[in-house]
Amino acid sequence: MIRTRIAYIRLTSCSGCQLTLLNCEEELARVGELFEPVRFEMLSSAADDGGPLAAVLVEGSAARPEEVQRLLDLRRRSRWLVAIGACALSGGVNRLVDDRQGEHCAAVYAGVCTGRNMFPPQSIDHFVAVDLCIPGCPPEPQEILGALLALQRGTLPGFLREHAVCMECRQRENLCLLLERKLPCLGPVTRGGCNARCPSIGIVCEGCRGYADQPAREEQAHLLRDLGLSERQVRERMGRFTGGNHETP
Amino acid sequence: MRRLEVAPLTRVEGHGRVELEVIEDRLAAARVLINESPRLFEGMVLGRDAAEIPSLVCRICAICSTVHRLAACQALEQALGVIIPPRAALIRELALLGGHIESHALHLYCLVYPDLVDADSVLQPLQQGDPLAKDGLALKAFGNRLQTVAGGRRIHPINLEIGGVLHAPADDELAALQDELEGWLKRIEPLIEPFFREDAWPDAGPVAGLRIAVDGNGEFTLTGDNLVCSDSSMVNASGYRDLLQETALPDTNAKQSRKGGTSLLTGALARCEFASPGDKTTPFPPGIHANNAAQGLELVWSLERAHDICRQLRAETGDLCSPFRAGPGSGTCVIEAPRGILVHHYELDDMGRVGAADIITPTAINSTAMEEQLLADLADETDEPTMRQTAARIIRAYDPCISCSVHVLRVDRP
Repeated sequence: MIRTRIAYIRLTSCSGCQLTLLNCEEELARVGELFEPVRFEMLSSAADDGGPLAAVLVEGSAARPEEVQRLLDLRRRSRWLVAIGACALSGGVNRLVDDRQGEHCAAVYAGVCTGRNMFPPQSIDHFVAVDLCIPGCPPEPQEILGALLALQRGTLPGFLREHAVCMECRQRENLCLLLERKLPCLGPVTRGGCNARCPSIGIVCEGCRGYADQPAREEQAHLLRDLGLSERQVRERMGRFTGGNHETP
Repeated sequence: MRRLEVAPLTRVEGHGRVELEVIEDRLAAARVLINESPRLFEGMVLGRDAAEIPSLVCRICAICSTVHRLAACQALEQALGVIIPPRAALIRELALLGGHIESHALHLYCLVYPDLVDADSVLQPLQQGDPLAKDGLALKAFGNRLQTVAGGRRIHPINLEIGGVLHAPADDELAALQDELEGWLKRIEPLIEPFFREDAWPDAGPVAGLRIAVDGNGEFTLTGDNLVCSDSSMVNASGYRDLLQETALPDTNAKQSRKGGTSLLTGALARCEFASPGDKTTPFPPGIHANNAAQGLELVWSLERAHDICRQLRAETGDLCSPFRAGPGSGTCVIEAPRGILVHHYELDDMGRVGAADIITPTAINSTAMEEQLLADLADETDEPTMRQTAARIIRAYDPCISCSVHVLRVDRP
């Protein structure tokens, strides 16, 4: 059986998206039967043969010219490009640093690093066409496996959920953390697909999957302010995974 | 002079490469270069409320996300004078042990084991139905189960916050874990045995570096108040700078740790040496590859400890979280990440916002020892392909976690 040729690359990120794939312990043998990891540095020491690819999976934000180069090289070789995780989709937590990057380099590296050869971390769609987005920090394993299976059959899934975490939470008949327990839950504006993982064990949604389609951000900010959060706290809470300090709800 | 490159380093966590300088067929210099973007977490947290910090800093590294999150919680609790309830401490330790088991199993079976069976990746032995690859992955999955039950999620655990934990595992979940732990303790010996075999590894000399670890008073521990060094010195967590003497290197984004010009070694091997393993151990293989066997031994200890914690937790019914008030203070946590000592230090201003932060990761501490080990172990090697392959295996033995590079990375020279 001819295996589907894929590459996995990581730019600026925590490796959590590739670990999500490697955490599919039961499915890995099957993944190995269906796919040839032409380039996947954490998983395999096979040398990249430079040939064409069915898909490249990209984790992380672009923050250096050489990362953009790597991205462009693989885009040219690949039929599809899949962006995985908040860092690739929106910049994720990396964006929290960008307007003070030079200042932070000076502080963290005690003056020896000036941050040359870097730029504020960007989502990858600033540089290449993206065929499929898999959200989350971390992403859901089933969404990565589902995407791989579709790619192996020569197509793309269309499953970016439009609805909010809130809807999944209600389907599970959970107590509402925001209205009934007066906790700063972001379920109403956050993209679903996680089956309300956190609110279902009584922990507020922190918005790691980014905004749902047409999020009621102003209403959400209003609800958070009503709970006693300051303007700054609301901004930090809502901006953690959605583009940092720049989002004013 | 010729320059040999091992690039990219594969089956390690993060992007790096090794440069070897060969003069007249002899290795003259070895460098480990880390090719990662600065993440600048220590800058990112400035001016933010203490309560925001645990969730942000666990994003430093997914493999170590539980221990990063815990280190931040503990350092901030010290700064704010918070004492967490005993039940919360047990749940946290269970999550920590889950992360330890998952990370060691990932390293041993997915990253190192392919070297032992001459494969590129774990996918080959898995497809051939190799029972060790299969069971190793099942153990990794079990580590993830502990992290999910205690931490709320496999990666970036949501259950650990300042003051304690937010959610307690149900009694039936703990009972199920207890049964599974008993099963694993019966099965674990043959799973770690291959890493103790002397013929599994390339020839290797003595292990470089003064050993440092979180002091457990001669017992296996991942948490504690003091750092102990094999030159018999001991410092309190707050004095970590005296021991680690971190310096920024010109022209790089690196900081290195050394003590009076001597390199330092942290990780499973250092911990096992301090924990006087007694009669449980078979002899370790030679050289730095003993670190793999030490991880195997720690898998056994972690399973035993997790079993004990599940038993204790089932009898606990107390509070989960202590309240706290934002305010000024400073706190330091030293803790053992799977690959060695992790330090988190925070200073909070009068409003309870972060005014200063310092995070030191184990791979930063080990980087000087890695270079020394390469030079020593490859001194008599003249065959280039062997040199490359052995260099890669030496680096892999440390289980480096390169994306943990908060401020430790050395970006390639332009």
